[in-house]
Amino acid sequence: MQVQQVSTSTSPARPVAVLLWLALVAAGTWALSRPVVGPATGVPLAIGLLTLFVAAIVATFSLRYMRSDGRSARYFLSLGALVTAVLGFLFTGNLLVLGLAWCASGSLLALMIGHTEGWEESAAAAARAVQAFRIGDAALLAALGILAWHAGSFGISSALAAVSTLHPLLAGAAALLLVAAAAARCALPPFSGWLLSSMTAPTPVSALMHAGLVNAGGFLLIRFAPLLEAAPAARIAAVALGLGGAIYGIGVMMVRPDVKRGLAGSTVSQMGFMIMSCGLGAYAAALWHIIAHGLFKAWLFLGSGSTIGMRTAGTAPTLSVRATGAIAAGTLAVAIAALYFGNRDASLVPLLLGLATATSTLLASLGGKLPARARVTLLLTVAALILFHGAGLALASLAVGPGATPLVPGWVLVSLLVVFLGAWSWQQHRVATGRGLPLPLYVHLINSGTLPAWGKGEAQ
Amino acid sequence: MNMMSALVAVDPVLTRTEVAGLVALASRTVPPIWPLESAIAVNPLAGFEHLPFEQAVQLAAKRFGARRSLPLAQWRKLLASGRLDERALRDAAIGKLGGLNSAVALVAPGISRLDLLMSRLLHLPARDEDVAPSALPADANLIAKWCGAFFDQGQAASPMPNRELGLYRAALAALAYDAEFRALTGESGQQLLLSVPRDPLEAIAEGLVALGVPAGDEEHRLAELVARLPGWAGHIRWRNENADPFVAAGSPANMADLLALWLLLERAGAAGPSPASDTAPDAGRLLAAHFRIADASLAGLGKDGHARFASVAAFDEDDLGTVFQAAAEWTYSNALMPRLQAAATNLATAGAPDAQLVFCIDVRSEPFRRALEARGRYETLGYAGFFGLPIALHSHGKERRTQLLPVLLAPQHDVAEAPVPGREKDAAALAAHQARARQASALFDAGKQGTATAFATAEATGPVAGLLMAARTLAPGMARRIGTAFTPSRAEALTPVAAGKGCAAGHAAFTHEEKVGFALALFKLTGLAAETARLVALVGHGGSAVNNPYAAALDCGACGGHSGGTNARILAAILNEPDVRAGLAAKGIAIPQSTWFIAAEHNTTTDEIEVFDRAAIPPSHSGDLARLTQDLAKAGAANRTRRAALLGRSPDDLLVGAVHWGELRPEWGLAGNASFIVGPRSLTREIDLEGRAFLHSYDWQGDGDGSALTTILTAPMVVAQWINCQYLFSTIDNERYGSGDKVTQNVVGGIGVLQGNGGDLRVGLPRQSLFTDDGAPFHVPQRLVAVVHAPFDRVESVVASNDILGRLFGNGWVTLIVIDPQSGRALRWRRDEELDAGLS
Repeated sequence: MQVQQVSTSTSPARPVAVLLWLALVAAGTWALSRPVVGPATGVPLAIGLLTLFVAAIVATFSLRYMRSDGRSARYFLSLGALVTAVLGFLFTGNLLVLGLAWCASGSLLALMIGHTEGWEESAAAAARAVQAFRIGDAALLAALGILAWHAGSFGISSALAAVSTLHPLLAGAAALLLVAAAAARCALPPFSGWLLSSMTAPTPVSALMHAGLVNAGGFLLIRFAPLLEAAPAARIAAVALGLGGAIYGIGVMMVRPDVKRGLAGSTVSQMGFMIMSCGLGAYAAALWHIIAHGLFKAWLFLGSGSTIGMRTAGTAPTLSVRATGAIAAGTLAVAIAALYFGNRDASLVPLLLGLATATSTLLASLGGKLPARARVTLLLTVAALILFHGAGLALASLAVGPGATPLVPGWVLVSLLVVFLGAWSWQQHRVATGRGLPLPLYVHLINSGTLPAWGKGEAQ
Repeated sequence: MNMMSALVAVDPVLTRTEVAGLVALASRTVPPIWPLESAIAVNPLAGFEHLPFEQAVQLAAKRFGARRSLPLAQWRKLLASGRLDERALRDAAIGKLGGLNSAVALVAPGISRLDLLMSRLLHLPARDEDVAPSALPADANLIAKWCGAFFDQGQAASPMPNRELGLYRAALAALAYDAEFRALTGESGQQLLLSVPRDPLEAIAEGLVALGVPAGDEEHRLAELVARLPGWAGHIRWRNENADPFVAAGSPANMADLLALWLLLERAGAAGPSPASDTAPDAGRLLAAHFRIADASLAGLGKDGHARFASVAAFDEDDLGTVFQAAAEWTYSNALMPRLQAAATNLATAGAPDAQLVFCIDVRSEPFRRALEARGRYETLGYAGFFGLPIALHSHGKERRTQLLPVLLAPQHDVAEAPVPGREKDAAALAAHQARARQASALFDAGKQGTATAFATAEATGPVAGLLMAARTLAPGMARRIGTAFTPSRAEALTPVAAGKGCAAGHAAFTHEEKVGFALALFKLTGLAAETARLVALVGHGGSAVNNPYAAALDCGACGGHSGGTNARILAAILNEPDVRAGLAAKGIAIPQSTWFIAAEHNTTTDEIEVFDRAAIPPSHSGDLARLTQDLAKAGAANRTRRAALLGRSPDDLLVGAVHWGELRPEWGLAGNASFIVGPRSLTREIDLEGRAFLHSYDWQGDGDGSALTTILTAPMVVAQWINCQYLFSTIDNERYGSGDKVTQNVVGGIGVLQGNGGDLRVGLPRQSLFTDDGAPFHVPQRLVAVVHAPFDRVESVVASNDILGRLFGNGWVTLIVIDPQSGRALRWRRDEELDAGLS
């Protein structure tokens, strides 16, 4: 039998992977040698490290995974170009460069979604991504145009400094455009379709999206925080869009029978939460979410081949409906108390949801039939994770610098919490009683992200 | 009459019973498709095996919209790489043209029909080799979507509502809210939803009338619909015919449900399949140009010449491909048969071996056996890898049982895992570890799906996920070692025992007679002599792959797509029981006192061998075992090096790939399989079979009544044929009969994979299992050759008394060649059509 030829000499695969690791080490060393803070340096550095790390992992993973791909050269070159574009818009101080690099990163991502040659479905998915990104790109370029025109300069710092003298209407318009750009990239409704139908991308591309691409919308809002703070309407829009995405995405995740689109639904939800945090002004929480979720989701996507095997439908509920309700009520009580004592911290919502998560997980790990030692290890693990989370949040606060002024009155924060906790209690109740979601909602959610070309008579 | 209108009153013509009969017939179009958890190779054309091979391929191609052969460009690559003999191709071409006389008939001066055909085979431009994945039509996509939702096994936290009503009624309820359905069918769809019968059989009866399907044409029409989503249709068959009952509990579905949905869409006027456009180059014009036959002189070829020219020009590319396939089959047999015949007349009798090892018949055993035999006085045998035990295993800490037997059989015994005596603490630690892991994963799932908890769960686990990613990508071996350092080895702490205790299914443990029966079968079927060596190893096998939906496809097919160590352990334990030995002796098999049976497992990905239950081995045999273990390791290293070359990687990289989560092709599996050889090892011992042969040991002298041969041909050989057909068809059309590129696969419902965003459940093998990195086929599509070393008349009577064998050999699905032990003469079993031709 013939021996397969190995030809690695001309392939860009290995050089791209090596370069990414080198860049990661360089960036890491730089970050450690002189700690930098603030939206202009600390935030790009943090997200840049995430981007390089995930991209380096994805490239190394792909050395194996994409070995038999007919267009592997194109794949690795696009990957390298994509990371370069992301780093470009993260680190630049120039509005023009930022705009161009942002547009380039979107186009490259669409290219990778349509990676498979001659497959109608992948072409349709790529076209849909291009469509969403074009709207987002146009919005971003318009917003940046307003800033540059007003400041008379392409420098980001001077543009941001000039925001205070920008006409409120113009500031509002620019900020809303910025939020629209972020929503398109973050796949928040009404832009979710591109992400939910992007499973034509090779698995590692889906993982790579979480390296500064799908989550770049958050970077945009943090980087241009002064503009947002000058335009409360835009912040409210971000909160509303984010809240919608957070709840909708959970619904999509709950109904998908396929792994990858379930994960995409989860991403929509997570991005919604992150954009909502940005709108509230909880920049540190948002930044930490960008990083931790990026790692989390890239890991799940790369491991998505491990999900063969039947599970008992509705694995034993980990927490009773009553306990869920009690935790929800307790969390609300803490929120009201905090507000009463004058803490109107912008990150109240993410923090208290974190508290609810910690409480419910700890409580649930006490349940079930487990030997005592196993239970202790489990509890310790959960405790360690909570500590990691806290440490990460603290680091993120360091990188971001001081937070924004709280945007909304306390009762709005409480209402947001009510929405999340209420939806949670209802969801736990429906799942625990085996009823799942109501049929009309179920059908609507399962149809989310269907490519338009699939419907009759709709031309692409 | 407007037959497409929803408003026509329809009176069904057929009764429910009649429809049920039609549905049952139509459902045979697709074979049952096993979920990937226990991936079983099936012939995607199993429903066509009553037809001659060529006719079946033709008909199935039409039904499934598939190719009939590998593309010409791919065949040419195989020829260029020397894996096909050009002489064999010429012979096959002559055969295609109806024999030598008609092949050399001249078309024009100096140009024969054969010249024309050979140039078409070798030189004329061919279609593009890669056929891009085609999108499902909208109606098929809609049904596939609801099948995916309905058949989900626990992936979605919120399952499809109304599943207890069955697929058809649950889908009817959902369609009422489905915007896609509305877009596809408009108002008529909505009205039909209200009016169609709720019973699927009645709905089919009504639908057939409404669509004006003529009487007598119904089965054909239904079969076409079954074939439009072969994956989900096959899943339905598996669920109803082969699965344990818990799978379908609470969500019943059968083929009638699926067909009722199809007819609903058809009645509502949803788009039908789009005709595939064939863009093959115009063969006649190309041929004429190639041979410089001007158009004018084409007319001047004369009547005969013109007809001869046209007959060659009329072949389509699939026809040409079948010529190549015949050539591939001849190339293989031409090389194999003379060597086997030479060996048959001169069977060497080896001296008493130091140890005997019984391997699975799997094609991957052969090169390993050869490597081991080269290391010392070892005798190896081939036996079905489930070692004749019809069992299902209840794994420690697992809710559901695993069937460890060929799917042709039903489990007769339930086996449970119990702590190895003296290792109870380890077993308890293992159980605690598993319980903790399950609980942790349940917590994680609950956390990441909760509306309030999803966000903090992602944030808290993100950093750990980052570390795990780095470890699994950069140092997967070390990551695994660290991961398992704190838990006892499963194989060392637990052992399978056939105790009735704790077995839900209530199958009895083995009786003494059954044990003796299992033990006897080993000797009877393989021809293993009663005078056994000091050590006899029963070697099961399994693959190792991580993060790979097709991992089970690398395991033992005879064990239902699982690794075979459990079966080997049970039979070895049985064979070591003094009672069983006494029982065997009473039946004429007196095993020496000095013999000890051990169980082992061959890891086909790494070529490492794990020996089980070492602690139970008597001290008197520890020296033998030490030598054997050493030789097994060396043989493994040698075989690994050989396999690494075929994979285009380094031997060490095979070890990495076995634990790396990004590895899509940890090994070649059974790719290359080509023959099934029944006979003593001495027949094949001196021949390098290149890992392409299933080897079943057999001694015709010990099988006077042919019962062992009957078993071998009707069970292991049939399984080998399924495997062969799965590889063959997955290769010739990887989009229709295979599952496509792994990099864009998407696991659905824990069952199998989709491509991209959705569509049908994919069947067959992925591209990476069959094609090399540069896109050339690694597996040469060719039918199985079964070679039997036994007297002609005995084989003849075995085939004659088993319909399935008559079908497979008579219709050309498998080529049977019998080698007569006395004369060494080889005869090929004639196909039915040859017989018919001979009679007329």
